[in-house]
Parts: sequence; structure tokens; C-alpha cells
Amino acid sequence: MSAEVEEMLKRFQALKNVVGIIVIDNDGIPIKTTLDNTLSVHYAATMQTLREKARQVVLDLDGTNEFTALRMRTLYHEVMLCPKDDYFIVVIQKPCE
Amino acid sequence: MSAEIEEILKRYSNYPNVSGIIIVDAFAIPIKTTMEYTLTVHYAALANNLLAKGSKMVQKLDSSNELTALRLRTLNHELMIVPEENFFIVVVQKPCE
Repeated sequence: MSAEVEEMLKRFQALKNVVGIIVIDNDGIPIKTTLDNTLSVHYAATMQTLREKARQVVLDLDGTNEFTALRMRTLYHEVMLCPKDDYFIVVIQKPCE
Repeated sequence: MSAEIEEILKRYSNYPNVSGIIIVDAFAIPIKTTMEYTLTVHYAALANNLLAKGSKMVQKLDSSNELTALRLRTLNHELMIVPEENFFIVVVQKPCE
């Protein structure tokens, strides 16, 4: 199963616009990453907070709803956050202009 | 100019998937909306909060970067928040499945 995960990560990382992929567990620790460790940990901490915030926003608006994805477009990149039960995935890409 | 804004708002809110559009000022007070007032205020407050958090996180990761758009996909809707200098726009849509 781990080989499958590695393979998928490699496949997506090979896409032209993808800067990095980080898989982060519920404690905010990056468990798999294609970026360097310092940056991964930095992203993990900030995205963990944002994930919590987004979850609360959605829960507040409608108790039956859940958030499935969060995309943030910034000047230089686009950061996509996808929460799952035990972990969440963050992908950073440079959108083609 | 205000007629132009009304016209644009109406045009976008007529799209079949758009549930509502809210224009919120810098103090999180909705200044224009196509939805019912209580819900609008609720969305405005939560969106303001999330936007502030998102913006802060982006700046933390790279101080030269800025958040230009935020999309939150949930089970039932998609919430799009776009910040501008003095206001921000929230659009709620039901993505077609």
C-alpha cells in the first residue's frame, strides 16, 4: 500500500505546475512530503490552523455540512487543502497564467 | 455606478448554481446581498474570520505573498471569498455534480 502511495505522490509531483505535496496527520506533523523538512513543517502548522478554522466555519453555518476542500489562491501559488479522517493533504501549485 | 453594480450582481445571481452573493465591507458589515438578511450577516461574519485567518497564514509562510481568493468546498455548496482593498465578496454556489 505504501508503494501505491509513493507512486501516486510521484505521479502528481511530476505534473508541471505542482510545487509540492504534503500529507499531514491530525497532530500537524507532516508524514509524507515532497518539499524540504523545514518548509513542510511550516506549512503543516499553518494549514492545520486553517483547516480547523474552515471546519468550524462550515459547522457553524450548517451542522450537517462538512468541508471537503479548501483552495487558496495567492499572488504566486495556489494552495489546496483536502481534509480526510486521519490526515489531510496540502498541494501547492503554480497556476499557469 | 451603483446601477452597474446592481446589474452585475443580478446577472451573476441569475446563474442557476449561484445561491447568493454578498458584498461585505471592511468591518464585516454586508453592504449588498442577494440572500436573506440573517443568513447574510452569518456568512459575512464567518467569511471575514476565515479570510483574516487565511490571509495571516499566507503572510506567515511568505511575507511577500498575499491571498487573492479563497474557495471552500463543502458537501452541499462551494463558498468563494475574494478580498479587495476595502471590501470582500462572498459567493455561495451549488456546484453541479
